[in-house]
Amino acid sequence: MEVIISTAELLTTDGIPLKQSLKKAERRNKIRAFFLVFPLLLFIVVTFVIPIGDMLMRSVDDSQINTVFPNTFEEYKKWDKGEDDLPPEEVYKNLFLELANGDKRQIGKALTRMNYAKSGWKSLIKKTSREIKKIVKKGEEPLSYKDKMIEINKLWADPTYWYSFNQMVNERSSIYYWNALDRTYNEEGDVILQDEKRRMYIKTWIRTLKVSVYVTFFCLILGFPVAHLLANLPLRYSNLLMIFVLLPFWTSLLVRTTAWIVMLQQNGVINGVLVWLGILSDDGRIQMVYNETGTLIAMTQILLPFMILPLYSVMRVIPKSHMRAAQNLGAKPAMAFWRVYLPQTIPGMSAGGLLVFVLAIGYFITPELVGGKDGQLIGHWIAYHLKTTLNWGLCAALGSILLFVMLIFYWLYNKIVGIDNIKLG
Amino acid sequence: MSKLIKTFLFASIIFAPFAASAVTVASWGGAYTESQKKAYADTYTDPGAIVFENYNGGLGEVRAQVESGSVTWDVVDVLPSDAITGCDEGLFEDISAEIATSAAPGPDGESMLEDMENNGLEYHSGWDCCVPQIFWTYVVFYDPDAFPGEKPSSMADFFDVEKFPGKRGIHTWATGVIEKAMVADGVKPTAVPTVLANQTGAIDRAFEVMDRIKDHVVFWSAGSKPLELVKSGEVVMAIAYNGRVGAANLAEGENFEYIWEGQVLDQEYLCLMSGAPNRDQALDFMFHASTPEAQAEQAKYITYGPMRASGIPIIQNNEPWGPGGVDIMPHMPNTPERLAVSIVSDPQWWSDYGAEINERYSAWMGN
Repeated sequence: MEVIISTAELLTTDGIPLKQSLKKAERRNKIRAFFLVFPLLLFIVVTFVIPIGDMLMRSVDDSQINTVFPNTFEEYKKWDKGEDDLPPEEVYKNLFLELANGDKRQIGKALTRMNYAKSGWKSLIKKTSREIKKIVKKGEEPLSYKDKMIEINKLWADPTYWYSFNQMVNERSSIYYWNALDRTYNEEGDVILQDEKRRMYIKTWIRTLKVSVYVTFFCLILGFPVAHLLANLPLRYSNLLMIFVLLPFWTSLLVRTTAWIVMLQQNGVINGVLVWLGILSDDGRIQMVYNETGTLIAMTQILLPFMILPLYSVMRVIPKSHMRAAQNLGAKPAMAFWRVYLPQTIPGMSAGGLLVFVLAIGYFITPELVGGKDGQLIGHWIAYHLKTTLNWGLCAALGSILLFVMLIFYWLYNKIVGIDNIKLG
Repeated sequence: MSKLIKTFLFASIIFAPFAASAVTVASWGGAYTESQKKAYADTYTDPGAIVFENYNGGLGEVRAQVESGSVTWDVVDVLPSDAITGCDEGLFEDISAEIATSAAPGPDGESMLEDMENNGLEYHSGWDCCVPQIFWTYVVFYDPDAFPGEKPSSMADFFDVEKFPGKRGIHTWATGVIEKAMVADGVKPTAVPTVLANQTGAIDRAFEVMDRIKDHVVFWSAGSKPLELVKSGEVVMAIAYNGRVGAANLAEGENFEYIWEGQVLDQEYLCLMSGAPNRDQALDFMFHASTPEAQAEQAKYITYGPMRASGIPIIQNNEPWGPGGVDIMPHMPNTPERLAVSIVSDPQWWSDYGAEINERYSAWMGN
């Protein structure tokens, strides 16, 4: 029999080349799949990509003030600070005119911004603006704008106000990042340390990291045995015990935090019992809350379920036979645990550890309530600047640094443990 | 079933705009908002037109609403420094013209602003956008049982742990504490704002005074805490919002004593959002809530003082003013005698220096 090998293309029944037809079908599928995930994609963009992008933008954006006083800033940049303590007449003149003719709201916003650079700008400009309006109304034109402004308020002869312009003259600037790290610009525009009495951001950063690491560590130490017990008990007992883990998890955060205050305060339950037992004298009650200790204890308890649950679900599926096999082959129980059991729980530890760490580093309400004198974390300052000073640039910088720190830890984790080694069960 | 849902959805789309036509007032919640509801909304010509919503203070949400162009609040209850910043930035609408024509005058024909000045207040730009509410104060209080012998009576006593041993309860931010420390340092209370504004060393001295008690302080951040701290004996004296102390005394049968000397009075305003959806009615409500009568009415339900001076005589002449026949005047922060030993906090100064001082305060706390 003769085998005929067709050199012509394979065709489908309706005469289109098979390859083309397959491609078409595949494309159609792809489009369909895309439309299926499209809402999700949109959701991620709207709730994730845009806000984070906006935050990153805001942390370097200083354009608003540059649109309010463009000429003043232009002249200011030309000023050679070596010559004189005070800027030349042109700078004064432009500021005078821009205050006289500017939009009140825009100036108001700019004032809020200027006040971050130096406290006192708000009052100075507002008082001066009022006087300038009067002068302009009368139709006067000062001979020397510089003298006139100094006459209105002697603070216009204070060079420190002018030096603070250094922090604002660029539309894109890293000043918020420097502020978030206790640094500022000096009169030459170099980065220097903030006034010693005001330095607290670095300290707060270190405390935030320290507390987060400790909380993660304590959660692991406390959570591991609990998860192990839960995973190895018969189901009906472990389900009952699981309730004890989940009940606090479902209880309101505020209730749990307040409960800790009741437990830990000086006239609280724990101190009371210790005094009653004679371990502490009545004057020697320990201060365990309204400080860093309180923050540590309360956060550890609150975040514990986030460690136990992933650990439990990973331990649950580790076959019991592994430990038996190891011991059968001659390993002592401790060795079998260390070499055989523990490595298999690493995905659970990683998942729990990352979860707890990420939650802890941005924690707000618990430290706010039990933190007192030295237990506030960086979230406290983000909230403060968001609500009270309206310094959203600094908020964004603080938030961005938090994000960078997280990414660094994530990268480190990936290097050391490997990101595919993470498992929620 | 699905028909029911459809009908419901349809109905909610149709009726949503009508439901939103009430004036929305954002305020602090709790007993304070309750007192506002009773004193202002219930006495308003159309009580149903006023809806209160809780918020946490600050201008964060206000600015977010105005900048994004989706304003849902009409009126916001704010602190004076926020009134100033909000008005300067145009987050609140300038209603100075309306205030001049429509705000209720006092009994002797004085304008609303003059009535406020009679209470020891000075003009600030917040007055262009907002109407006055109440004076609340940072006041020191104690349980007399904690001091069997001599009782503390001044700021000097509060900052003296040798004379009056025991812990002090202080809040975690600087406003109020700085001023009190200056009084303990010997500055005349009424002169504190001037000294703060003009003497650069004043702050340093205040911190030195605060150093004296630093190791004896329990720091609180929620308004209910100082009451619990004193009640449980955790501290012997604490700074608190006077309304909380008043409520404990009047409603919970406590017997706390106030140290009025060195109390720091702070103001509270109702401001009109820029682009408020129900602007005209909101404005009408604001003028209703700022009459001396309405402000005196609020004192029935919470012991904060009317910011209009003419509100005080209404209470004084009608005692017992409180519910259940109790006298309110012993708990009012702004009687003339008490004002003479008090500090009226300067919101413009705090708006200028607040961030810097609070950073320093926090560094001081943590050291």
